[in-house]
Amino acid sequence: MNIIETSGLEKIFQAESVETIALRNINFNVKEGDFVAVMGPSGCGKTTLLNILGMIDDWNTGSFFLLGHNVTKLKEKQRTILRKNHIGFVFQNFNLIEELTVYENVELPLQYLGWKKKARQERVTALLEKMQIAHRSNMFPLQLSGGQQQRVAVARAVVANPPLILADEPTGNLDSMHGEEVMNLLDALNKEGTTIIMVTHSQRDAAFSRRVVHLFDGQIINENLNKLD
Amino acid sequence: MTGNYFKIGIRVLVRQKGYTLLNVAGLMLGIAVFIFIYLFIESEVRYDRFWSDNEKIYRITNEYSLEGNSEKIALTPFRLASDLRNEFHGVEEATNLFFTDPADENDVSTITWNGEVFEIPDISLADGSFFRIFDYHFLEGNRDSALLKPNSIVINSTTAKKIFGDKPAIGNKLRTNLREYLVTGVIDMRQKLSHLNFDAIVSVSSLNEKELKILEHDYFWMTCYTYVKLADTVNPDDFEYRFNEFERVGETAYIQEEKLNVVGSMQYFLESVSLVHFNSSLMYDSPTNVDVGNLYVFAVIALFILLTASINYINLTTARSLKRSREIGMRKVLGALPRQLAVQYIVESLIITLIAFVLALALVEWLMPQFNQLVDKNLSLLDSLVSRENFPFGIVLLALLSILSIIGGSFPAFVLNSFKPAHVLKGTSFSSGKFGKQQFTAGIMRHFLVIIQYIVSIGMIMATIIVYSQINFLKNHELGFDAENVYVINVPRDTNFRQQIKQTMDLLAKHGSILEVSSTQNVPGYTEGKMLFQVGDTNAIPVQTINYFEVGYGFFRLLNIPLISGRYFDDFPSDDTATGFIINEAAVDFLGLDTVVGVPFNYAGKKGGKIVGVVRNFNSSSLHQDVDPMVFLLTPHVSRYIMVKVVPGRHEEAELHISDTWKKVPSGGTLHMISLQSKIGSLYSGDKKMLNLFFYFSLFVVFISSLGLYGLSSFLIQQRTREIGIRRVLGGSEKQLITMLALGYLKLVFLSGLIATPIVFFLINKWLEGFAYHISIHIGYFIVSILLALLVALFTVLVRSVKVVNENPSVALKVQ
Repeated sequence: MNIIETSGLEKIFQAESVETIALRNINFNVKEGDFVAVMGPSGCGKTTLLNILGMIDDWNTGSFFLLGHNVTKLKEKQRTILRKNHIGFVFQNFNLIEELTVYENVELPLQYLGWKKKARQERVTALLEKMQIAHRSNMFPLQLSGGQQQRVAVARAVVANPPLILADEPTGNLDSMHGEEVMNLLDALNKEGTTIIMVTHSQRDAAFSRRVVHLFDGQIINENLNKLD
Repeated sequence: MTGNYFKIGIRVLVRQKGYTLLNVAGLMLGIAVFIFIYLFIESEVRYDRFWSDNEKIYRITNEYSLEGNSEKIALTPFRLASDLRNEFHGVEEATNLFFTDPADENDVSTITWNGEVFEIPDISLADGSFFRIFDYHFLEGNRDSALLKPNSIVINSTTAKKIFGDKPAIGNKLRTNLREYLVTGVIDMRQKLSHLNFDAIVSVSSLNEKELKILEHDYFWMTCYTYVKLADTVNPDDFEYRFNEFERVGETAYIQEEKLNVVGSMQYFLESVSLVHFNSSLMYDSPTNVDVGNLYVFAVIALFILLTASINYINLTTARSLKRSREIGMRKVLGALPRQLAVQYIVESLIITLIAFVLALALVEWLMPQFNQLVDKNLSLLDSLVSRENFPFGIVLLALLSILSIIGGSFPAFVLNSFKPAHVLKGTSFSSGKFGKQQFTAGIMRHFLVIIQYIVSIGMIMATIIVYSQINFLKNHELGFDAENVYVINVPRDTNFRQQIKQTMDLLAKHGSILEVSSTQNVPGYTEGKMLFQVGDTNAIPVQTINYFEVGYGFFRLLNIPLISGRYFDDFPSDDTATGFIINEAAVDFLGLDTVVGVPFNYAGKKGGKIVGVVRNFNSSSLHQDVDPMVFLLTPHVSRYIMVKVVPGRHEEAELHISDTWKKVPSGGTLHMISLQSKIGSLYSGDKKMLNLFFYFSLFVVFISSLGLYGLSSFLIQQRTREIGIRRVLGGSEKQLITMLALGYLKLVFLSGLIATPIVFFLINKWLEGFAYHISIHIGYFIVSILLALLVALFTVLVRSVKVVNENPSVALKVQ
């Protein structure tokens, strides 16, 4: 079953008198349990595509179905509900909230989902243990190394068990050792059944995926299968 | 979730200490000023609200017009109360209280008990109905019978304490200069704010029958305040109409009976007792009454000060939204709904407002004694918090807390909620695209709010400067008489003393430091009243109502009031006491006389008098009023004041001599002496109070606005550190850069000044119209105010911009 289906998706940036086509005619399907890497040069529209798939940005034309929902017809509030229940995000610059501790950052999606305190506690504690950052749970993001911050970000992305993770250059700000740690985490999640779409510049990271989609000037120019199921 | 909001809110505020401090300080000052003004206004509104059935109690006021000349006064003839009681259905009770010149603080009566003399400022007269309308709490005695019998006296608890200490007062006999009274009651007036202010009331029945008969008969002798309590079924408007109709019939009959040639009428009005305090338009009214317009002005100022403080919060928070955009974006990505984000901002705003509130309450409590002194009141924060008399102050504070938190939190929430997460999370340039547009709009909004703040600030500066100039103008205005080196001594209300006033004045004059001594029934600056006069010896000529002023011998010489024609009053012994009149130039014009001196002139219905002299116009009342036509009567034996003019530079000697002489005068009592200049100065005490309040309020507004401008400019200039670094690398001088940074803000302040000018011009002109003599508003006041505001704003912006501009460019360029 396709978790994502787009057809003829187009995105245009309008700045004063200049019009830039960021994405054109994107027909992109992702099956449940897939691990897709999106590659391409800077400015080719990778992140724009990921943002649209995560419903944190709009598009101009084309259709987009997520988990069978026609996103075009959803209101902002319905999109928010769909997002918080089904999608986890990992960013290059982690985007942890500086005022919150490690524990509170990971707990936040569950709060927005309305989980009870006890259930939250059990889930977050178990996850932090699993991610081997439980000993840092009371620290603030700025007290952690980049690798640790990204592990927290991954933990936050998966805490609500979303079927889909969107990762935007998750190792871009990390050294190779920490980068590999994060990729192993994502790989393990994918093996447990989570669908992952990852934007990356790195061939090494892309090698973790099953399918690589190449974008150029806002268009998908080819797709390769990396490894067999 | 709520607990989480508070936790995060506190962390955010602790992390941004400087910003929190600015916000808390601004809000604290704003709230403190608001509380002060609220307590002040609330204490005014409390007047006369506590009587049982106070919605049924009315005071009768009076507008009489004679010969096209009309006057609104609080006094009415004595007979009205009995007319009301005897002639009208629906009157539950009516009473009258005698006028005792409440405006004169120095006028005192003396009471003797057990051989000891006590000074009691206000002793009034009323009948037995008085306490049936005004249900004072009786600490001793019985309200129904207290004022029934002749020679009864009811005293207030302060007077009782003064005379009897903690012993019971009832049953004791007190002696005034006129007769002996039996204490029949002690009432508690503490904490009760009322236009009725007296220290003791004696029963009207104490007056002799002859006096009472004259009072009962006369339709035009206005001596009393009249109050009526109407039944629920009575429509006050209908009643007022019926009452006027009835009185008009009586007046016509009285005029015919007395053969008066009067063309005019009396018009009575019912005024709800709880509104009396807000009527400052009547003559002979309670000096505690206030101009309701001033209360509105203060209420508007209070709201403006709060608005200014809230704008600080909104501006600082939206400006900082740049810094928090990533956090908000991430929260949105994680599923936060707009409502949840708004609640988070409102909680942060609530925390800041709550801290500001607690500090503001502490500040109010700490500064309360000074504020009380400033407004001449006895306000208490604690009393207001626990008071159940009025709308609970606690609820007002809670409402204010909620409103401020919601306003402070929802505007930033609105701005932040409009961010698109995709734009802020991937480090998109803050100045480009849609996000840049949102920031630009928020920036315009901030400018707009800064302009509002400065319109208020500059407006307050302008008003303060103009009010100050007007007060100064009054102080230096040529009054037409010489008030310098003149002392005014109170003459006790004692018939024995008044018989020896001549000897006392002679004793006072016998010293080298004394130039002149005279007596007067009133002091220049204070209105005495109007009487009916007629030109000629017959009733054929219509009578005129003209202001009169009773003076003693030497009055005009002492005050250097020049004679235009005729002569001053003859020295003692003289016939002028009954038949000689001096008038001022305005009266000459008013009467339209060609020949003045020697013209027959009399009180209405009398004959044999004549005008003996004309004096130059002088300001015999406050400068709020123009010089009115005035008739001077010679009444040396009924004087309430002795005026003493001393040799310049010999004040100490003179004061010593006066005080020594006074001790030798039998029944002189305590010497009450004040310089004429101070006495005249106190005519403008209300205006000075207003000036003081304006001064402090503008100080607060300017300070709060400066705090806001400092916070906002600091943050926005800091945001431009990198740009400034680049400009410096490219050759920009410190001066050029500082000018660039400051100019943006100064333009806003200047624009605010331009907008404030016509608004202030219009409002202050209205205030100045209340003075017959006033300054003319010229552009200088506005220019000075705008320059002052520009100077303060420049200083505020410079503090931060100098620091940023002086930053080493290599460091500045690293700032993201």
